[in-house]
Amino acid sequence: MSTRADVRRTYDRIAEHFASTREYAWPEVEAFVSDARPSSVGLDLGCGNCRHAELLAERTDRVLGIDASRGLLETARSRARARDFEVDLLQGDAARIPLAEGTVDLAVYVATIQHLPTEADRRESLNELARVLAPGGRALVSTWSTAHDTFDETESFDTTVEWTLPGGQTVDRFYHIYSPAAFETALEESALELVEFELSSGNCYATVARSEPARGRQSKKEGT
Amino acid sequence: MKESLLEILCCPLDKHDLELEDAQYDGDEVVSGDLVCSECGETYPIEDGIPNLLPPDMREQTPA
Repeated sequence: MSTRADVRRTYDRIAEHFASTREYAWPEVEAFVSDARPSSVGLDLGCGNCRHAELLAERTDRVLGIDASRGLLETARSRARARDFEVDLLQGDAARIPLAEGTVDLAVYVATIQHLPTEADRRESLNELARVLAPGGRALVSTWSTAHDTFDETESFDTTVEWTLPGGQTVDRFYHIYSPAAFETALEESALELVEFELSSGNCYATVARSEPARGRQSKKEGT
Repeated sequence: MKESLLEILCCPLDKHDLELEDAQYDGDEVVSGDLVCSECGETYPIEDGIPNLLPPDMREQTPA
């Protein structure tokens, strides 16, 4: 069975090649960030080469990039130097975020939750994202889903997807493929408040906020 | 890492504050040292400027 340490090792192994194929930001993330108000702290959780942290840097005073893979963080460091943007890089686990409560104004958690091997890990990562979001903060959470053309399945399932290195060698990567309905349910059952949910190119995109005042309860306060 | 990050970082395990120990600087960058949890005492190394805040069970048991 895969563990989060296995996933980290996998990405350490393929980091350089993987990052070289992840040059451009996703349009859905660009739209989310460009709609956001300027704020203080941005977070790219599962940052990879920081292509999305680079966008956040235009909207926030300080951007943090967190990834479990040191190899990917090195590609982020190179990209930040080459493209002249500032990002604070941290090696960390999405299910145990090393940030204090309420510190993040704008976050993206893109195409990462699908690599957490257990339901408990995935649930905890959503609750952790809620914990670090500041009141009024927003995050975009995305995952690959069964709605993608690649899949015949309609229910969520676990699988491995091969990564082929330039020499032809393949490396298995763990994926949990959510059905859109199951992903929406996972968000609703977390400490996050679901603001908007959409399907685009076989990926689910959820705009979320921190539930106020307590986990799972809706705030009566309006206009914030 | 920038020392000012200490204001928002916390221990990934119990979420308590971290203290910077044995820091080596290059300008205003902390290039090496340890981040130590003020509560549980767990130590997180800063390796070539990047703090390794992975919980111990996800860390590699090899020298950096």
